[in-house]
Amino acid sequence: MVPLDGLGIIPERDAGRPPILDIRHLCVDFGGLRAVDDFTLLIGRTEIAGLIGPNGAGKTTVFNLLTNVYKPTQGRILLNGQDTRGKSMHQLNRLGIARTFQNIRLFAGMSVEDNVKVAMNHGYTDGVLTDMFRLPGWWRTERRQHVRALELLDLFNLAGKANALAGNLPYGDQRRLEIVRALASEPKLLLLDEPAAGMNPSETHELMDNIRMLRDEFGIAIMLIEHDMNLVMGICEGIAVLNYGKIIAKGTPREIQTNPVVIEAYLGEEAGHDA
Amino acid sequence: MNGYKQIPVYLRYLINTLLLGAFLLGGNALLASGAVNRAQSAVILQIGIYILLAVSLNVATGYLGQLPLGHAGFMAVGGYGAALLWKAMPRSAGAIVLGLLLGGLVAAVFGVVIGVPALRLKGDYLAIITLGFGEIIRVLIINLPGITGGTPGLMNIPKHSSFLVVYTTVILSCALIHTLMKSRHGRAILAIRENEIAAESSGVNTTFYKVLAFTVSAFFAGVAGALYAGYTGILTPGNFTFMTSVNILVMVVLGGLGSMAGSVIAATILTALPLALQSFNKYRMVIYALLLIAVMIFKPSGLLGRYDFSLTRILEKLINGQLFARAKKAGEDRA
Repeated sequence: MVPLDGLGIIPERDAGRPPILDIRHLCVDFGGLRAVDDFTLLIGRTEIAGLIGPNGAGKTTVFNLLTNVYKPTQGRILLNGQDTRGKSMHQLNRLGIARTFQNIRLFAGMSVEDNVKVAMNHGYTDGVLTDMFRLPGWWRTERRQHVRALELLDLFNLAGKANALAGNLPYGDQRRLEIVRALASEPKLLLLDEPAAGMNPSETHELMDNIRMLRDEFGIAIMLIEHDMNLVMGICEGIAVLNYGKIIAKGTPREIQTNPVVIEAYLGEEAGHDA
Repeated sequence: MNGYKQIPVYLRYLINTLLLGAFLLGGNALLASGAVNRAQSAVILQIGIYILLAVSLNVATGYLGQLPLGHAGFMAVGGYGAALLWKAMPRSAGAIVLGLLLGGLVAAVFGVVIGVPALRLKGDYLAIITLGFGEIIRVLIINLPGITGGTPGLMNIPKHSSFLVVYTTVILSCALIHTLMKSRHGRAILAIRENEIAAESSGVNTTFYKVLAFTVSAFFAGVAGALYAGYTGILTPGNFTFMTSVNILVMVVLGGLGSMAGSVIAATILTALPLALQSFNKYRMVIYALLLIAVMIFKPSGLLGRYDFSLTRILEKLINGQLFARAKKAGEDRA
């Protein structure tokens, strides 16, 4: 990891290129409450970054700010060099950001394959009338989307369940399907909100391999919120720790694990001194 | 895959086309032969028109998941649009097609104009605002007697809606709605119903697709209105009240939100039922109401839920010897 502009650290291999995500002094107020305060963070082009912190620290709020679910009160976000202010959520998706949700949001009444196809929007130009009259453009799109959807599903061993209803999948598969759907929109930055929630240790281990594989295969950056410290410390290169909306520490997993401020935030002051 | 035999695409299209063609010609011959009396053939035409109304409303309610209450308004503008054209043109096949298209297009324009502001709202709010727009259309019709004939109505509309015209239009419209829903645009519309935030963050332009679904719904309601004009020969504002919208909505809900086959079946039953019950005139509306209540209690998702009929699927099960095999649970199959 190397420092960049004195604002944060990114992996050496990404140092030559501008960061995929450049967040400066981000704040958001809900009523009188400052939920995120002066949040500044850089994420490298192919970095796996972690955002951790106690419950209610504001982690998901940061994700919601990044995807314009909420409007920041102050500060700015550059995604791939472009200011995200005023963009709608689907425009941000086109700019290269895709996410999963803490409480799964699949299209439960649609098939697994259709869930993935919904997110495929890049490079298809067949219009409404072309599709209604099943002109050649429709057949081309359907074939391309079908092949691509199965390829992506296969990465997470879901290709065999392509015809099942998404809502009928077991919990772990639903989490994986959400990641596949996010991938289908060809993001440059993937936000995963507690991807391992509800998974058993062996599933979590598989997920770690899968996340690394995604970064290597697709060359994308991944930012994740997670409470499972084995996962976070195992795959994240840079970690930011959030508490009461403020970043209290940034660094490599090793630095975070030994940082007294972090230990205090997680375990309380007394225990922090004991440790 | 896995030895599950599938029917080739061209054969599927051929089977469906042949069956529908046989239905059209057979029905036409039946009506022409005089085997059905005038009252019965009138009901048959009405059924076709209500099928199209229900199927078109189903696009906005069942597929998009919104609750518009102004469907009769779109039907009205389509009907008046087509009627005015037909009155000005000599009878010809071209005039009929042109009138149907014009009815649809006029309604679609209203669909866009109403949809853009209305679809910023959701649920009850959308219901109220579309109800308002539907009434505005009706009041406009009353107050523009120069064009629409005002309260007494528009008379002497050429009666173009023969069995062939009505059912060919209905079948084509259903087919076009079906093909739309089986495309990337249709999937985007369904995704909005399933989870709007997830759809938006998956790159679906939800505003565009909401207006699109609403407009398609209005277009086919307009076509149905045109058929209605050509069926009755007289259009009065009283044909297009709020109650008409509600009747169509009842058909969609009863058939199952999101099921085209359900809309078709419910429209058929609910149109034929009041006439079939005519001999119990006193209790007709009571029986009708009790039936609705019974379905909603015992099958709240509607007669067919979200199930959609597919002849191909049934034929494929048949040739694979699985017609009566129990439906497999998700995840079990083809793992």
